[in-house]
Amino acid sequence: MTEVFAEVAHEPGAAKQDPIVIADHVHRHFGGLTAVDVEHFEVQRNAITALIGPNGAGKSTFFNLLTGFDRPQRGEWQFNGHSLVGTSPAKIARAGKVRTFQLTKALNRMTVMENMRLGAAEQGGENFFKALVPGLWKAREQEITEKAHVLLHRFKLYEKKDDYAGSLSGGQRKLLEMARALMSDPEMIMLDEPMAGVNPALTESLLDHVVELKNEGKTILFVEHDMHMVRRISDWVVVMAEGRIIAEGPPQTVMANPAVQDAYLGAHHDSDLSEEDPS
Amino acid sequence: MDILLDATTAVFAPATAAFALAAIGLNFHFGLTGLLNMGHAGFMLLGMYGYAISTSRGAPIWLALIVAIAAATVFGLLLGWPTLKLRGDYLAIATISAAELVRYLGRSNSLQGLTGGSTGIRGSDFKFTFEELSPLPNENITILFWTNHGSLSSSWWLHIVAWSAVALFALLFWQLARSPWGRVLKGIREDEDAVRALGKNVYSYKMQALVLGGVIGAIGGVLWSLGASVQPDSMGRPTTFWLWTILLLGGAATVFGPVLGSMLFWMSLVVIKGLASTFIPSSVLSPVEIEPFSLVLVGITLMVLVVFRPQGVLGNKRELAFND
Amino acid sequence: MTKRIDRRVMLRALIVLVIAVAAFIALGASGSPAIASTTDTVVAHSAALSNEAPSALTQDTTTVHATADTESSGVGDNRYVQQFINGIVFGLLLALASVGLSLIYGTTGLSNFAHGEQVSLGALLTFFFASKQEVSLPFLPVEFSIGWPLLPSALAAIAISAGTGWLQDRYLWSPLRRRRVSIVQQMIVSIGLSLAMLNFIQWWFGAERKRLTTSIDTRLDLGLFSIGQTTIWSVLIALVCLGGVGYFLLKTRTGRATRAVSDNPALASASGIRVEKVVRLVWIMATGLAAVGGILLALYDNAAAFDVGARLLLLMFAAVTLGGLGQAFGALVGSLVIGVAVEMSTLWIGTDLKYAVALAILILVLLVRPQGILGRAERVG
Repeated sequence: MTEVFAEVAHEPGAAKQDPIVIADHVHRHFGGLTAVDVEHFEVQRNAITALIGPNGAGKSTFFNLLTGFDRPQRGEWQFNGHSLVGTSPAKIARAGKVRTFQLTKALNRMTVMENMRLGAAEQGGENFFKALVPGLWKAREQEITEKAHVLLHRFKLYEKKDDYAGSLSGGQRKLLEMARALMSDPEMIMLDEPMAGVNPALTESLLDHVVELKNEGKTILFVEHDMHMVRRISDWVVVMAEGRIIAEGPPQTVMANPAVQDAYLGAHHDSDLSEEDPS
Repeated sequence: MDILLDATTAVFAPATAAFALAAIGLNFHFGLTGLLNMGHAGFMLLGMYGYAISTSRGAPIWLALIVAIAAATVFGLLLGWPTLKLRGDYLAIATISAAELVRYLGRSNSLQGLTGGSTGIRGSDFKFTFEELSPLPNENITILFWTNHGSLSSSWWLHIVAWSAVALFALLFWQLARSPWGRVLKGIREDEDAVRALGKNVYSYKMQALVLGGVIGAIGGVLWSLGASVQPDSMGRPTTFWLWTILLLGGAATVFGPVLGSMLFWMSLVVIKGLASTFIPSSVLSPVEIEPFSLVLVGITLMVLVVFRPQGVLGNKRELAFND
Repeated sequence: MTKRIDRRVMLRALIVLVIAVAAFIALGASGSPAIASTTDTVVAHSAALSNEAPSALTQDTTTVHATADTESSGVGDNRYVQQFINGIVFGLLLALASVGLSLIYGTTGLSNFAHGEQVSLGALLTFFFASKQEVSLPFLPVEFSIGWPLLPSALAAIAISAGTGWLQDRYLWSPLRRRRVSIVQQMIVSIGLSLAMLNFIQWWFGAERKRLTTSIDTRLDLGLFSIGQTTIWSVLIALVCLGGVGYFLLKTRTGRATRAVSDNPALASASGIRVEKVVRLVWIMATGLAAVGGILLALYDNAAAFDVGARLLLLMFAAVTLGGLGQAFGALVGSLVIGVAVEMSTLWIGTDLKYAVALAILILVLLVRPQGILGRAERVG
């Protein structure tokens, strides 16, 4: 366990040493159904936090709320000390918190390179009037392209750079989505089920990429069903059930928490919680 | 031989250029951004009204053009404001309704004084500022087989201006489609949430595309009216549907698709009508039936195109404007 | 799908209606002070309205239409009540068409732009069978007259129209769904179909307005308002048909399956409902109902032209959107609201703008409550 978590209590809503995200009283319901009801939640900076829970626990909804893709009925949340209440997804992304999607959103009928370039920030040519004068954006485009080359090499997609994104395999699309998110140098990356639909051969390299991001100083929060990934790479695990956070702790011990076992067994008998830890 | 001559005339007619221009506007909407604008004729009609009404009230040509552009801009903003945040099919229904609303208002008796009601505005009321600009002689000029007036109505002057405008806006499309701005639009066409997650203000980009395409449509409308007259019922739903046929025929998201589509469309209409009147006896297909008959074929062409060759003549199957 | 129409829903509909009417009074007032509701202007307006078909209409049919309009707004003691009743009648007839449009949208997701032509087809096929005039078929240089009585003609027309629904689904829409052609592509296919059908009908029947029956309707004066005898029959038939659809959707096994498919096709399919069969049935029903609507509207309006349905299409879309896309009962409520708004609007603004009222309402609804009055908020986005 990383030492930043040494002092952190193993309880829901535990305060962290250096939180990058803080959420309070976030409540979202659809009709009469409460999807998310989180009293307090913090994410430690420069660490890998996993958000897990049985199906229907509200993980994805909470994820959408934190990234601005959904609006709660009430609640406050902040990123880097700035309140994000009512902020649009685009602004949240520009503030340095980018996300990926459970169902990969590679832009299929654009090339891999165009996908990457779209991820970049501060391209003046994205303004209509500047777009008319190539001289105003060509230089920045060159920088962006070079950066994309570096990232594509790192994610082993360089050979595919001129292919349409739609021709990539499921795992490659996940990698592309992650690489694209990195184009804007975000501080925090939120991955929605990064392992879903990924060929086992690619799993290891994906995990390595996530760990590498942390080593570069980035913060990662991910939602995942695959307990193998959770145990392998996460520093801290947050467990949700029925819209609430029911437990927090390091991956080695949180599964032993009776509340967690109840939530999983009660809701979802054949969960991969029952799998042996392979590591 | 006559058919061949007529077909060539149709290919280069100002009306063909006007439809090519409007289709370029639609290409910004659908080809680049994936917006389902089913009311493009409304933009054209507003452009025509803006231009013709301000000219007939004594505005110089540049002011009349600005009024046409402003009318389309305001219309685009008003339409986009409520609908661009909604699912795509809502935009389709809203645009088609708004375009019909413009037509109903334009042809209504209550606005007779402004729009001329259902009879519209006569060409002589608004064409003179444009015709006065003509550097060509004020007489009929014959080039090879084609005779047109130098400056009046469907003149050589209008031919030159209309096709120059098409060239200019095709160039604009080419430049914008390969710019970072166009890249964002393409991204929105593919998946707006992904683009949102990358920090782009999707709503603003969709609005820009809607307004720009609408303005180009309005200019197309102005060119069309300079070769004919302002007639609200000529800009009904069928016109929008023809524009879609033109765009999909040539190839959405391509630079020359709208131009080629418009040429093919008008040429085919002439050829079909010519062949039908030559080879089908009038007891089977009477002269009044030829027009609807050829438009039945247009409808069928649209259906077949969309199903079997959605990328059109010039398009790339892998970069198709339709989403799965 | 909502079974019950609660009070809040009606209130919302009312508010939307009031706002729209107010907006149009304002527009009418500022547009031209010359619009007094005298009989003269009404005639002029309706003459202009019937001239709407791109091709000019013959003079005598225009006069017939104009007189009919004068009659309906002249007779009766209270013009407000009269127009309200006219609106309810028109709304009910419109509902026959829009319920089908809504069912198709609900079960397949398709906004069928060719639905208007199904309405025209029903009306003109009836004319084809009933007319004493010479009729012909496209491409066939022979003229003949069938001249059946109205009822069997109408039944034949409805059967053939429903048959076109079956044909369309069997040979067009079902293969497209199987090929996983996107919904946008399907929508554009329906636009192509609408263009083809509209012109086919014009080619077949010409551009003139056709009368289904030569007999003159006797009007009954009921004190506050008057109503034609044929219209009463039309309303009864419409009520029976709509009641039948309601019974089908709520009480029968197949109807419940239809609603299940509307709610969630994947789930319905997984729970053993044969979605394709349901959709086929919906197409047959929708096109049949559209034909009934077309025939009754042609009787109500005295005549029908090839573009009658095309002109109603956007009113149907307005009704369907107002009621909540894909909600069959919403389409009924929406149609009534649209019908009343359209007819009542003629009290204040020109009849040539009455359809514009419906479109304004549609745009207003998209602005305020895009999921419609019966729709659920979560569905949109």
